[in-house]
Amino acid sequence: MSNLQLKAPLTINWAINNSCNFACSHCYSREDTHDELPRDVLYTCIEKVVKAGVFSVNFGGGEPLLHPDLLDIASFSSGLGLRVSMNSNGWLLDHDKAVALKEAGFTKVGISIDSHLPDVHDNFRGVAGSHVRALAALGHLRSAGITTSISTVICRINSSTIDELVALALEHGVGQLNFHNFKCSGLGMSNKDELDLTPEEWKLFYRDAIAAKHTVKNLDISLDDPIIALLDARDAGSLVKGSVCGKLSLNIKANGDMTPCGFIPIVIGNIVKDDLQQVWKDSAVLDKMRNKQPTGKCSGCSKYDDCLGGCTARALALTGDMNSPDPHCWGSDAPAK
Amino acid sequence: MSKVFRNPDVLWRRESDTSEGASQEEAVAAILFSGGSMLSLNEFGIELWEMCDGQTVDELVASQLSEFDVDEDVLRSDIQEFLNSLLQKGFIRYE
Repeated sequence: MSNLQLKAPLTINWAINNSCNFACSHCYSREDTHDELPRDVLYTCIEKVVKAGVFSVNFGGGEPLLHPDLLDIASFSSGLGLRVSMNSNGWLLDHDKAVALKEAGFTKVGISIDSHLPDVHDNFRGVAGSHVRALAALGHLRSAGITTSISTVICRINSSTIDELVALALEHGVGQLNFHNFKCSGLGMSNKDELDLTPEEWKLFYRDAIAAKHTVKNLDISLDDPIIALLDARDAGSLVKGSVCGKLSLNIKANGDMTPCGFIPIVIGNIVKDDLQQVWKDSAVLDKMRNKQPTGKCSGCSKYDDCLGGCTARALALTGDMNSPDPHCWGSDAPAK
Repeated sequence: MSKVFRNPDVLWRRESDTSEGASQEEAVAAILFSGGSMLSLNEFGIELWEMCDGQTVDELVASQLSEFDVDEDVLRSDIQEFLNSLLQKGFIRYE
């Protein structure tokens, strides 16, 4: 199943705008284009995506709530049958906005919260009071009948606070807690020495996170990092091995440029002028991501068939080669017997 | 006897392209998707999935029995196993 080739992505992560009201320490898109597609062009692109067979679209950015047409775009998308979700910092999300999001067809909204401690979160996100408003946003969404999740970028400020983050999620009634691995993209690269963990620290984090996943009730703890295969843990619901980027999902930037994921800055086409299925099928970059070859310590590693070298974005950012072992990998340099 | 229905929240599509060299049994014919849960189906699976529109298990078995040279008990067991996997993921319901 590792070579499963679908006719189109299942999910599009779509940064419909790149404007943002926050100043996050790890922002991957601060330097991205601020060009945005006109609404009529965007609608045509959404129709193309639907026609290609895409199931769902997750709006991001930037902060999608800053896009003046977000509700209309979501209504248009959901009206065409797309499942619509969003990632937001929650700052602009009050009761009325939550109700409007529900009416526009949003089924799920993820709110970024990086610590159970308000000061730590606010400092990381660069905006005082953002923690309070993020938590309030969760309440407004829940009241409006929208499924909520918390997205936490794991790094040095929170890697030892799994229990506290789980307690926060349970207290606020979210359905899912997403622990995202730290990417060395944009400011994440500039600040990696301060924020990123060592491979051994990643091992300890995932060991504890997997234990929590198995013991915590009423909360789906999601770990999207392929290297957890080293701990014999992998998302059993996924159709593919290794990273899902370029296999199940694709990223579209505010100007329509398509990239394998939000953290790989290689443009493989533009949704305005290119055929999505054609790009998905013929892109040499996607082909390379789908057919990675083990190098270095991956060669001979007994876990390679499951992890496929880990996060391609991280390997590319830090080594310049997609096939390099994920720099977060704690596996031995010696080939596994 | 209870009838089998697809969960209307499940999104699904046929995959037009089949992998070169793959047999019909192995080739991915369709994808089901609901939240974070996914399932790939072969031609046999998608045929059954499309029939989950209020038919009974007996009716599903009868329809496939005419297509395959197979013992009914074996076929029924295979179909029930398939339906159980769909039920476990919340992709179908019985009424």
